[in-house]
Amino acid sequence: MPFDLVPLEKTDKNLNEDRYLTMGSRPILLFSIGTSFSVIASLLISGCGSSNAPSATVSSGTSNAAATDVKFDRQILSDFTDKVVIPNNNLFAEKAKALSQSIDEMVKAPNSKTLKASQEAWVVARAAWEQTECFGFGPADSLGYDGALDTWPINETDFKAMLKSGQAITADSVSNMKETEKGFHVIEYLLFGNEKSRKPADLGQRDLKYLQLLGANFTKVASDLATSWSKGIEGKPAYREVLATAGASENTIYPTLQAGAEEMIQGMLDSLDEVANEKMGKTFKEKAPKLAESRFSFNTLADMKSNLQGSQNVYLGSFPDANTSGKSLSAFVAQTKPELDGKVKAEFNAAMDAMNQIPAPFEKAILDSKAANSIKTAQAAINAVRETIEKQVKPLVVQS
Amino acid sequence: MESLLRFPGNKQLKFLRVFAIAVLASVCLSFALSQYLWSPPPVPLSGGETTVSNRTHQGFGQPAPNLTEKELALHIEGDRAFEATFVTAPAPVNAGLGPLFNNSSCVACHVGDGRGMPAKGSLLVRVSLPVSHSVASTQPISANGTNKQQSSIFESQPQASVTLGNAPPVPELGTQIQDQAVFGVKPKANVEFEFQEQNGSYGDGKPYTLKSPVFTITLPNGKPLPSNVLTSPRVPPPVFGRGLLEAIPEKTIVALADPDDKNRDGISGKPNRVWDVRKKALVLGRFGLKANNPNIFQQNAAAYINDMGVTSPLFPEKDGKSEIDLKTLKASTFYTQTLAVPARTLMNDQVVKKGEKLFAQANCTACHVAKLRTGNHEVKAISNQTIHPYTDMLLHDMGAELADGRPDFEASGNEWRTPPLWGLGLTQAVLPYAGYLHDGRAQTLEEAILWHGGEAEQSKEQFRTMAKGDRDALVKFLQTL
Repeated sequence: MPFDLVPLEKTDKNLNEDRYLTMGSRPILLFSIGTSFSVIASLLISGCGSSNAPSATVSSGTSNAAATDVKFDRQILSDFTDKVVIPNNNLFAEKAKALSQSIDEMVKAPNSKTLKASQEAWVVARAAWEQTECFGFGPADSLGYDGALDTWPINETDFKAMLKSGQAITADSVSNMKETEKGFHVIEYLLFGNEKSRKPADLGQRDLKYLQLLGANFTKVASDLATSWSKGIEGKPAYREVLATAGASENTIYPTLQAGAEEMIQGMLDSLDEVANEKMGKTFKEKAPKLAESRFSFNTLADMKSNLQGSQNVYLGSFPDANTSGKSLSAFVAQTKPELDGKVKAEFNAAMDAMNQIPAPFEKAILDSKAANSIKTAQAAINAVRETIEKQVKPLVVQS
Repeated sequence: MESLLRFPGNKQLKFLRVFAIAVLASVCLSFALSQYLWSPPPVPLSGGETTVSNRTHQGFGQPAPNLTEKELALHIEGDRAFEATFVTAPAPVNAGLGPLFNNSSCVACHVGDGRGMPAKGSLLVRVSLPVSHSVASTQPISANGTNKQQSSIFESQPQASVTLGNAPPVPELGTQIQDQAVFGVKPKANVEFEFQEQNGSYGDGKPYTLKSPVFTITLPNGKPLPSNVLTSPRVPPPVFGRGLLEAIPEKTIVALADPDDKNRDGISGKPNRVWDVRKKALVLGRFGLKANNPNIFQQNAAAYINDMGVTSPLFPEKDGKSEIDLKTLKASTFYTQTLAVPARTLMNDQVVKKGEKLFAQANCTACHVAKLRTGNHEVKAISNQTIHPYTDMLLHDMGAELADGRPDFEASGNEWRTPPLWGLGLTQAVLPYAGYLHDGRAQTLEEAILWHGGEAEQSKEQFRTMAKGDRDALVKFLQTL
């Protein structure tokens, strides 16, 4: 019989607690009624001869579909920290130092060559940083690293007033400035000026001094961020351990292995959402270049591509820029649902292809009617992969 | 099955078969109904229909799943307002910071919409001058429900009215130390703190150490804050689920109160009565660590002006203009009203079940009331929900060690509002190193429990003298909330 047990299998899955929760309680009621009717329907049509029918329905959670037979492997989580997060943070720390050194060279001899070298070093550091955004939780938030490195917007009014004043510019004074007067975008403003218009002669001695100390401060924070994950900082345990031991009895943050895995996925979802709907979507919708993240350097499009690349790295369990890779979420998905794994990979590639179709700079593309379709297409493509991960990959992991 | 259907029988057999089917079907039906309709859902939905399943750093930051598409758009708009970093005017975006402030965005303190930590930029200090309670209460009450002294303070400094019940502002400082300022302006005071330690031991002899902050507040002239100024350090509380708490009917909260401890269980509980700026009247207090704010709209507007120095239509500039418009204030209000509550985890774990029982046996649930029901609210998604917040929304004397000595409307210097415990286990996933209790002094839930005193003294003692396995179970239960 074509209808035999099919509705029962479905209702069996619906009994899973996690599914209940994702639906809220009203759907529970609807599904309960649905369940009852499908039970009755099955029984009546089948003549109720099968004693399996009720028991199959009642045994909630005991006979989950084959999809959940494969358990999530802890190795995926520890490789996420060791092969993706830590190498990426380390590379960023290295590039931050290189940026600071370029600025030092420029301060010694401010000319178009040294300015250009500093600008290039900023772009390189930026590419490493933007890939880390999808794991910007944990110490990046609580120890203030994210704020110190990448606050947006910048407080131009205040730091310009400081530069005009006679106030001494020292390592301490810079360190005590607000987050909106430090980090990537203040350095970006000083190096690139409005709409990439900076000339070496624009920068006076105080500007250069400020820039140099910002570079040093930036390098220190980038290094602390890397240490906070790999070794631990300020007497706190390495965050790598916190995530990789999810579900262990002494772990008070992630009570289950699945919660740790969910964290890894949540990071991707947040970042993909931010790229598609805020960085790209909101700026485009309001046709407002002032909202573009890296508008001084016209680097916003590259930023967004690096964000997407970061999420793809997490899914694939690798960090190509440092040639590291490990056991991946992709492999876990492929074990039970190879077609889903193929879909996610294809959607990541499609999203990157779509972003490559947007003419740079993004700050001008949003005002260009000929570029509108490419932006809409890219936004939809990023949302597509986000939705697949949220609705299909995440449940697979959480229920494993 | 199929063979049964094709069984070649006479009419009697057919009747029997139909009869048997009918009986079996009704048994199945009643069984199914009892399983899925008449028994509670397998997981208490902590926030009713606003519950989500999420045990990550974003566990407090999800939109309620039962919002309409239009409501979700407003929630997202509010989310962006909550994230907006303010800068000094003039500026192309987010102008309006300061001149004095504690931090420059909502989310900088309420990271991930969760609990903050005892650290610069997250912890703030409320201040006020002492006032004899008898003096305040013998002032004639005016027609709008407040006395003359209060009225004049509210009018002269409306933005501070949230803490002005019996907490007069300190000249130069107001009611909150804003220890940051825009360029060219000096903060009115500098706040430093260090931790002092005290030792204790469990009933089984196992020692423990508790830490609490000691503050050094210095004025711009280098002198310490005068000793008569009352101070109250605060770390930011989580902001999710607040719409549900706003939607609990006043009569429900008042009914839980027992200010004179008539039932003699050692636990009183009283509602705060606080100033509603729009109604110009004293009303039930719900929000803030001493329940000194009546609703989320006012709470958010107060945070804009006091914490970030950002004026709004509720607390405008002197000329009536404001740095954020009503639309933004409403969106941020809607956002905090409609943040989902995370579901519990590991509900079927035997240790967790044991811990839940012990939590009730130690009478923790006398104040941390597990189950309440919301009433009607202008936001439909949070209306008429059965929720599990673990709070009674009332003020309780928590003992001398937690006391700040700073009264706030009806709240005495010893009293705090019971904080909700839903989502408690996610606190340090949302913000590692976040601290529990009003000033974030407790790094672990054990420490937080051990600090309880006053009305909670007996419950604390029960916990302190439990066997280790029982203490661990109780804490594990809390970690799964």
